[in-house]
Amino acid sequence: MTGWAEKILDIDLTAQSYTTYPLDMEMARQFVGGRGLGARLLWDLVGPDIDPLAPENVLIFTNGPLTGTGYQTSNRFSVSTKSPLTGTILDANSGGFWGMQFKKTGYAVLIVRGKAARPVWIEIKNNSVAFHDAGELWGLRVFAVTERLGQSNNQRNVLCIGPAGENLSRMAAIMNDRERALARGGPGAVMGSKNLKAIVVEGSERPQIEDKDLFKFMLYETRKLLAASPLTSQALPEFGTVVLMNIMNNIGALATRNHQQTQFEGAEAISGEELTEKYLVKNASCWACPIGCTRISKTDKVEGEGPEFESTWAFGAQCGIDDLPAIIEANTLCNDLGLDTISAGSTIACAMELSESKYMDSDLRFGRADLLAPTLEAMAYRRDVGADLADGSLRLATKYGHAELSMSAKGLEFPAYDPRGMQGQGLLYATSNRGGCHMRGNMVGPEVLGLPKLIDRFQVQGKSSFVILHQNSSAAIDSLVLCKFTNMGVADEYFARVLSAVTGVQYDTGDMIKVGERVWNLERLYNLREGFTRKDDTLPPRLLNDAPTEGPSKGWVVQLEPMLKEYYRGRSWDENGVPKAAKLAALGLAGL
Amino acid sequence: MIDPRICEMFREIGRDLFTSGMISSHGGNLSIRLGDHLIIKRRGAMLGQLKPHDLIETGIEKNDSGVALASTELLVHRAIYLSTPALAICHCHPRTAIAFSLSRDELVPIDNEASYLLKKVPVVTEEFASGTPQMANKVANALKNYKIIMLRGHGSFATGQTLDEAFHWSSTLEESCQIELATKIINEPFIEYRGMSESYGKF
Amino acid sequence: MPIVKLYANLRRVAGVQEISVPAASLKTLLSALVTEIPALESHLFEDGQLRRYVIITINGHHVTVLDTELAEGDQIAIFPPIAGG
Repeated sequence: MTGWAEKILDIDLTAQSYTTYPLDMEMARQFVGGRGLGARLLWDLVGPDIDPLAPENVLIFTNGPLTGTGYQTSNRFSVSTKSPLTGTILDANSGGFWGMQFKKTGYAVLIVRGKAARPVWIEIKNNSVAFHDAGELWGLRVFAVTERLGQSNNQRNVLCIGPAGENLSRMAAIMNDRERALARGGPGAVMGSKNLKAIVVEGSERPQIEDKDLFKFMLYETRKLLAASPLTSQALPEFGTVVLMNIMNNIGALATRNHQQTQFEGAEAISGEELTEKYLVKNASCWACPIGCTRISKTDKVEGEGPEFESTWAFGAQCGIDDLPAIIEANTLCNDLGLDTISAGSTIACAMELSESKYMDSDLRFGRADLLAPTLEAMAYRRDVGADLADGSLRLATKYGHAELSMSAKGLEFPAYDPRGMQGQGLLYATSNRGGCHMRGNMVGPEVLGLPKLIDRFQVQGKSSFVILHQNSSAAIDSLVLCKFTNMGVADEYFARVLSAVTGVQYDTGDMIKVGERVWNLERLYNLREGFTRKDDTLPPRLLNDAPTEGPSKGWVVQLEPMLKEYYRGRSWDENGVPKAAKLAALGLAGL
Repeated sequence: MIDPRICEMFREIGRDLFTSGMISSHGGNLSIRLGDHLIIKRRGAMLGQLKPHDLIETGIEKNDSGVALASTELLVHRAIYLSTPALAICHCHPRTAIAFSLSRDELVPIDNEASYLLKKVPVVTEEFASGTPQMANKVANALKNYKIIMLRGHGSFATGQTLDEAFHWSSTLEESCQIELATKIINEPFIEYRGMSESYGKF
Repeated sequence: MPIVKLYANLRRVAGVQEISVPAASLKTLLSALVTEIPALESHLFEDGQLRRYVIITINGHHVTVLDTELAEGDQIAIFPPIAGG
């Protein structure tokens, strides 16, 4: 069969050994790759009795049948594990070049189990797997490790953790290709708990394509569509994702000061326009991507990739900070320490509110840009106030008696979009399987940008239909594995045809979305098995009860109840949010 | 209680369908999905003049009292929601597209807009092309892979995330067919202007 | 007088971030705007129609109907097409 790499590499760090075996092709057809395949494998490997930071938890790195084919954005890859931050199923995905190289080693899946007796790094070169002592690397930051291990974008790619992961911060990221991140939910801590410092890949197998003519046609059409879409051909390359800052602020959906407000008076100062004018060196792109949304930014102190919209928001509006250079520096520091910027920024914001309200004693106050860098360092090394913040806002806020001040769902901190200005986003946050996350079906398309068509962001009735579709579609794209920005110019029907062209297996558009639905339901089952229930499908009281007192979203709280009821019915789940037997059977999940 | 904004959407698209000649006085249908319910036109209502009481909410899988009032085409709408990711359906009678459906098994547009947006529109056929389970399943199956299809001699079925998206495909198809009809009258050799156009039929 | 705020590449094109435009409706405002700054015309209009996916908000609320009336002090934000295709 073409498209898929057909082997699994299964590494046991405790025994320092490995085996390889064939990928179950029927499973591959059903779950495709990336997030879907990772979820299915995790279901079998990690049950409720396993602590996320114990050796029995696993890291499952996956690519997909489209990875490395050269189709637009076919560079992404995924990691699946049980999250040390939330306790839910976790997948995180990243761009850059590592995924493409990983596919070239001939493995569809890399499973990492156990715990090394002493720090190690792994080198995979096609059929050879070598374990190396990482004694000299342990303690080094991400940029240094990446360089030391010989990062060369198209030839040899480094994936590693920094001090945050080594010190088991539950917000630790796994970094690849220097500044790309498998960021959310703390996968870096899982890697740190295994004494695994880095994984380096070099491969030479070339992905095969079944129907080359259809593939060529799809490449051509996709190129046209991405060039014609102003978002992918102009806005993103010119301004990066930070182009959203002014829009979100304008409509009153930019969470500010730990979600106390929905507009930030300093938005302009941290906008995409400002970044482009004053700090942008150039844009850059991941492998096989024509969009080029990556920023290369420079201040007096740093030069590096980013910042993205979410990162800029997390250290900006959420912390009441309008000092863009400080934000850029904080972002670069997170990349070097190996920390998730969204959770880090929002946790600092939570600490700011706790401190201003005198529930906790620290110097952190909204607007203190000078404290960003020192606090991030402290978090990565669990020093001083960092010890309290290293494990996320929920544990922090709970410790100081005010869990309700953690702006999170299931323990994962929300991104920038304040759902009191976007009802659908509120439902999304409450129901996302990995916690408060926008990447699981971002409603910014329909509710703000008019993609594909504008829907009323305050309308409640019927909103769940959109959330369900976007969740399913996102899950499918995460399983291919492609970048969601292609979806902003290219409809799902193209992805179905590309998948069919590459693999020779017939997927129609409905089948593709069904893959997403299947993955979504499996993830739900996983969380239910872990003990999550309907009452975890919720939002903090602030978002449910405290309406903004000014701005365009004035007077609005998230109308979660009616949307959730409609959502459960729309997904064929019972009133407790448990998938019904008939639905599971229809998705091929009955046996689980 | 149906949200007034939803009623307004139905009213506007319904009116546009009628004034653009895509339906007769009482023909065509519009529906949207709400969870496990759908909202559809009342039997006998005119799409061009929808009043709030002309919209019926009923179950997609389960029968309820709404079934008695809903359009006779409820069956095909249900089938579509059950087997595709559609959130909205526009069914209308675009005249030129119907005319072409009588002699072709698929419509492959030659104009820029439609070849860009639609690529190819399959034609399905059913002996009794109204209100039967066979027709419903055939239409729903075809819509699993295409966002708009023709039911030979009857009309188009288009899906989308919103009614205006489904209407968009329908309107584009009709425009495309009218352009092709005009070329038949002009009757001069076609100058291919699109790259890789031979592949559209493979979509 | 209503205030128009321009974003993203419209700023570069227009040479300003913000401009006051006397107008009673959105339609007249847009007309006056492109008369005042002709360089904006091709970015906002195509064949005399407002380009699809131009995002216009009045006081933070999306508007799609050009006949919308404007009040004194209304803030109109215009974002270039950053969606669709």
